[in-house]
Amino acid sequence: MSEMWINMGPQHPMTHGLWNLRVKVDGELVIDAVPEMGYLHRGIEKICEYRQYNEVVTLMDRCCYVAGLAWEQLYLMASEQALGVEVPERAEYIRVTCQELQRLASHLMWFAAFVMDIGLMAPFGYGMRDRDVILDLFQSFTGARMTYEYMRVGGVRNDFPVGFTDRARGVMDWLEHRVDDYEDLCDRSDIFLKRCVDVGVLKAKDCIRTGITGPMLRAAGVPRDLRRDRPYSVYPELDFQVAVHDAADVYGRYRVRMEEMRQSIRIVRQCLDHLDKRPGRVMAEKVPRFVGTPSPPPGSESYIVRRGYPKGVGLSAMEEPHGEAMAYVVNEGGEQPYRVKFRSPVMVNISAAREYLVGYRVSDIPAIMGSVDICVGESDR
Amino acid sequence: MSSATLFGFSSWLAAQMFGMLRPIAPAPMQPLLGAQAQSATAYLLVGTFVFATGLVNAIMLIWWERKLLGRFMDRRGAMHVGYAGLLQNFADGLKLFRKQPLMPREADPLGYWLAPTAYLATSLMIVGFLPVSTGWVPGVAPLSLLMALALFSFAPFFIFIGAWSSNNKYSLIGGMRTAAQLVAYEVPLLFAVVSVVLLTGSFDLTTIVNTQIKEGWFAFPLILGLVVFFVAMLAEVERIPFDLPEAEAELVEGWNTEYGGMLFAMTTLADYVRGLVGSYLVVLLFLGGWWMPAGQFTNVVNGFPLAGILWFQVKVYLVFAVFVWVRASLPRVRTDQLLQIGWKRMVPLSLANVLLAAVLVVTGWWPLPKMF
Repeated sequence: MSEMWINMGPQHPMTHGLWNLRVKVDGELVIDAVPEMGYLHRGIEKICEYRQYNEVVTLMDRCCYVAGLAWEQLYLMASEQALGVEVPERAEYIRVTCQELQRLASHLMWFAAFVMDIGLMAPFGYGMRDRDVILDLFQSFTGARMTYEYMRVGGVRNDFPVGFTDRARGVMDWLEHRVDDYEDLCDRSDIFLKRCVDVGVLKAKDCIRTGITGPMLRAAGVPRDLRRDRPYSVYPELDFQVAVHDAADVYGRYRVRMEEMRQSIRIVRQCLDHLDKRPGRVMAEKVPRFVGTPSPPPGSESYIVRRGYPKGVGLSAMEEPHGEAMAYVVNEGGEQPYRVKFRSPVMVNISAAREYLVGYRVSDIPAIMGSVDICVGESDR
Repeated sequence: MSSATLFGFSSWLAAQMFGMLRPIAPAPMQPLLGAQAQSATAYLLVGTFVFATGLVNAIMLIWWERKLLGRFMDRRGAMHVGYAGLLQNFADGLKLFRKQPLMPREADPLGYWLAPTAYLATSLMIVGFLPVSTGWVPGVAPLSLLMALALFSFAPFFIFIGAWSSNNKYSLIGGMRTAAQLVAYEVPLLFAVVSVVLLTGSFDLTTIVNTQIKEGWFAFPLILGLVVFFVAMLAEVERIPFDLPEAEAELVEGWNTEYGGMLFAMTTLADYVRGLVGSYLVVLLFLGGWWMPAGQFTNVVNGFPLAGILWFQVKVYLVFAVFVWVRASLPRVRTDQLLQIGWKRMVPLSLANVLLAAVLVVTGWWPLPKMF
């Protein structure tokens, strides 16, 4: 068979979203790959400039359907810096709990999709079922299962409901066993190992060169985790380890994510203990309120434009389930942010597709792209 | 033939029909109602029964698979149409039947329309050569096993024709994979069959089952052959872990990507007919056919009318349950790994099995001493 280009996407089971992977194949061998992004571009960064600070949170949920709360906090950390707001400690602990629950939900979703990609049917149902249990937890304090709109400038909308911590602890105990089960299920399967070991290898040097972050980077043996290396929120007070594996292949990424789930369970437990001991405010006492309007209505000469927010700039970086995400918010004193810019880890990870796809087979593409953990909502925004 | 057999029943039915028609038919019609026409009708009725049961069985296998797979995934499977979703697949089939068949503009019409038709037809034909019980022997042929396997190996040609004429790159890759896979696994499959033929000295499936009734299941002396046959059959009917031609993660739907509506239903149905035939063959060759396990002590049960069909169906559905179990718990292998497993593992194992069977026959250890 001669060489030919195949369009995998925009509608394709491998993509987990809406993007196009053009691969050049020689028979079954991949000899070139060009990722094409942008099919899901909704102009979220631009829309942010026309929404008030708290309204933008709604858009953040739409950035990533598996990690909405992570993007809420990412944006809010930057905008709180830009507005000069201090978040109370209890709110920070609640936020970190949300982060780690969200990481668990995201990784479980990844697990379900990844095993489905390599043809393993039953654990797909298990991953989705366990994610649903975490979504139940989210529902109990945000009222929503995917688009939470829970966090606010200066804290969170509401405290956890009564009895939540015990319920969450029960879920964590249960989930800990499930994660062990899944690892058993996969590690003892010869075919699973055959599909994963030495497939999609991307060494640490190449990861750093291409800007790849998150579990992919840690699977290449680089112990970089922003929760530890550029601490934000209350992570410095929590005890956890950075999951690292040195295989640099699909198997390594799977092991890193499995270990991260265990560490997330650890962090959630610490947070829950802390929340039980220390009641308090979940919203900052002094949140600057915008007074006045950005532009006077035409023809009203007596209209008084009063002072808006104090000007400022905010930059935040956080370890999102997919990798290192960054947000940059410019506050020019208006009602809405002047400019919002995000760095999506998925965008960078996919863009390097040629680096880890060339030389492998067509059958390896779903396994490799599955191990990247793609969420096109946040990469195209 | 007695009336307890399928052919006897059909003859009786044809006789009834003609007996009713002859007095009321007008004079010009009378030459058409002769004895020859009656026997031809009887044969047609046999064919109708065989293919109808084959199709209904295949559809029921889809239901069985959906329910089992649901339970493996901690859910319930189809529940709403009919009791426990029994009629769900008929509803799906009706929905697909109502759809407009769409052909890609650049596709080759002859190959495109021919492939699913021929695929389903040849798959269904195999059912016509497989005896289900002493009374249900549709095709009496001394070489029925060989005929069934020959029809079984038609499929890659039609799949390849369909894939090539669809003019789609996914279809093309899927077709290539099918050809490579089916050719590779045909070899161990046939070698596993050879060992059974060595022990029985016959290609007639009825004789093979009768030998097993007398001497015990071939699964015991030829356990290796059973394993090889089962794995090769997994590959032949293109199921996980060997469903590379239809690997939905990378090839969308594989060789039948461009087939929609009823054509899709036909290819899927043919897949399940082949799954059914595969389970039939496993039961016939290794698991004692229609005889109840430890049948010597249970002649009462086996003598009951239709008991043979019942036991056969139970065994077939259990064998297919193992197919589903494998599907639920194993990932899909890669193309190169698939061929490696086929040529480097399966072929030597099947040869060892043939050697074992030959040693058993030559040294006179076969038949084995009666165990039960």
